[in-house]
Amino acid sequence: MTISLLHYMLIPLFSALLIPFVARRRGRLAEIFASVTLLAGLISIGGTLLNPAVLASGFSALGEDGFSLLMIFTVYLVGLCVAFFSASYGEGRGVNTTYFYPLLLVSVSAMCGAVTSTDFFTLFIFVEVLAVASFALMTSDDSKEGLEGAVKYYLLTFPASAAIMLGLAVMLLSAGTFSFDSIRIIIYSGASAPALVFSLSLMLLGFLVKSGVVPFHVWTPDSYQGSYAPVSAFLAGIVTKISGVYAVVRIAMFLRLFETGAFRLSEVLMFLGMVSIAVGAIAAMKQDDFKRMLAFSSISQVGYIVLAAGLATPLAFIGAIFHLFNHATFKTVLFLNSASLEKAAGTRDMNKLGGMEHPMPWTSWTSVIAMLSTAGVPPLSGFWSKIIIIIALWDAGAVTYAVLALLFSALTLGYFVVMQRRIFFGKKSAAAETAAEVSPALLAPAVLMSAVIVAAGLLFPYFFSYLAETIASRMVL
Amino acid sequence: MSASFATAWYFAALLFFIGLYCMAASRNLLRQLIGLEVMSKGSLLALIASGAMSNLSLAQAVIITMIVIEVVVVAAGLVLLVKAYRMNGGVDVWKLSSLKG
Amino acid sequence: MIEYREFLYIAVTLCALAAVMSKNMLTSAISLAAMSVGVALVLFDFNAPWAAVFELSVCAGLITVLFISAVSLLRREEAFFAEDRTRFRLLPIFTLIVAIGGWIAGWPFFEALADYARFGARGQSLGSMLWETRRMDLLGQISILAAGVLVINSVFAARKAGK
Repeated sequence: MTISLLHYMLIPLFSALLIPFVARRRGRLAEIFASVTLLAGLISIGGTLLNPAVLASGFSALGEDGFSLLMIFTVYLVGLCVAFFSASYGEGRGVNTTYFYPLLLVSVSAMCGAVTSTDFFTLFIFVEVLAVASFALMTSDDSKEGLEGAVKYYLLTFPASAAIMLGLAVMLLSAGTFSFDSIRIIIYSGASAPALVFSLSLMLLGFLVKSGVVPFHVWTPDSYQGSYAPVSAFLAGIVTKISGVYAVVRIAMFLRLFETGAFRLSEVLMFLGMVSIAVGAIAAMKQDDFKRMLAFSSISQVGYIVLAAGLATPLAFIGAIFHLFNHATFKTVLFLNSASLEKAAGTRDMNKLGGMEHPMPWTSWTSVIAMLSTAGVPPLSGFWSKIIIIIALWDAGAVTYAVLALLFSALTLGYFVVMQRRIFFGKKSAAAETAAEVSPALLAPAVLMSAVIVAAGLLFPYFFSYLAETIASRMVL
Repeated sequence: MSASFATAWYFAALLFFIGLYCMAASRNLLRQLIGLEVMSKGSLLALIASGAMSNLSLAQAVIITMIVIEVVVVAAGLVLLVKAYRMNGGVDVWKLSSLKG
Repeated sequence: MIEYREFLYIAVTLCALAAVMSKNMLTSAISLAAMSVGVALVLFDFNAPWAAVFELSVCAGLITVLFISAVSLLRREEAFFAEDRTRFRLLPIFTLIVAIGGWIAGWPFFEALADYARFGARGQSLGSMLWETRRMDLLGQISILAAGVLVINSVFAARKAGK
């Protein structure tokens, strides 16, 4: 693990262990404590990324891995939004705040541990910590749907961990070490390449199950739909992205180092990504439940990231990582807003909603921004990441994939436009007559995230130079 | 040496299959947990056999950590089981099928 | 002639079959414990005594206790044991098929895999390995234990509030 980034992992952990003692009598203290911890972390990582000296040097002054830093920033951003949102959302829902916030902080800490680890086994441990904490979070409102989602998650994610363990065993055999640097050197030397490819493919299998890519997507919609509303934003926005997709991108960075032999694995990865894009987009069109529709759309967006990771050119990695960040921002907004809608209108069924723009302008317009970003409308951030992925595919000669990705992007835009008409615009429904805008405390996270989406879109050149400088240029060709 | 490695992996694969079959065939959450245990024992055998061929003390350190992870995962699974039992009065996972689409 | 280690492997596999197939959950839990003891003996035989001690105390001890307490909690429920048994009766046949298939296809594969063995840095003691090279894993252990404690506590706290 990168030692200089250790405190991002340790401070939330300590804070999580402290909360049950401090907030035993007063539940409010837990919320305040958690939000302050996360805000402090966000300010700290923001200061590291955006301080004038770093900006002036064009980001080359950053010594650490740019991928890890960006992911830490995303983790804290999403964590803060979710903690702040659930502080006002959770009232009267029987959620035990003395344990909800510590579990949230433990998962934030585990995610930081995972993204800063420089060793496959450490990555695996933190992913397991994350899994344990997150399925407890799913059931935190004691609903049957949440329990169902948690059981399905448990039954798929831990066999996947067993597959990763087998992969680690093969890696131990063929490399005698787990550290990223040593593995990189061993791959260069060309020694025991087939065994290493075998080991990485076993690990990829496990992490693909954890990220919910299409043949393994059984658990994803149920978990996202069933869990406690702020938790589904947390899960869809960041947890499954770190526990699955992050590792897939990392492993893909190793696959491209092999001289031969890993091409087939990369091709499988690209194919699965494409299938996810297609299946997620098509299934999303058929849904009536807003949250379930968002879950399928999330599968489709993960498909773009996996597709780009499979391509494994530096430009594709820039696209994949930027899309990972964008996905975290817009999916968090959408899931949080779906919770607000449910709270205000009493339903998530899109047939019963309509004309929500009149009573709930803030919720509606932040959702519209997030949806347009998901669909890839310029100048929002989602446009840039998708266009980079498509250009990278075109450049590398994968023309079929590029065209298909473009087509499904148009399809995404289509179903989001239809959905906007069903929920926010169009004729005023009975639900819209009685609904009222939710409190500013529930709106603040969505507004903050929408601002990030717009800013990331407008300041795209900075993002691109950051990713190009700290990730692509440091990857050895 | 390599024969002993192959034996260990052969039985590890067998254990992995038995555990996976148990998880797939059973409807009972407790039995699925037992299947999970069998699977992770298979991975442990695979790890120690690999470690004996390459780096034994690393394998030992890894196994100790994995055992700690395993006990927490199983405890968390049992917590889930208790919760399911309390809320539904049963541990049949197929009864949990309200979410579809 | 079956050697000591092969005998252990066969015993472990039989215990696994017993754990999966037995109708009574208590028998299953005890077979699982026996299996853990077998794995611990294998670890001893592989010259990994510390891992073996952990396996013996944690897996054969703690996990068995956890399982047995869960079984006794759920014992009252009748429907709990009503399961379609035919699938489990078929398991030995499937296992036999996989075992024979594995003998033909898996064995040569694993032997080929063994050729890729790479001798890592030997001679480092377990202590220095754990406390110097794998320091982050210890941090990971602490956080997974913290997560486990919080998860267990959250359920018991909810029960208190419910009463």
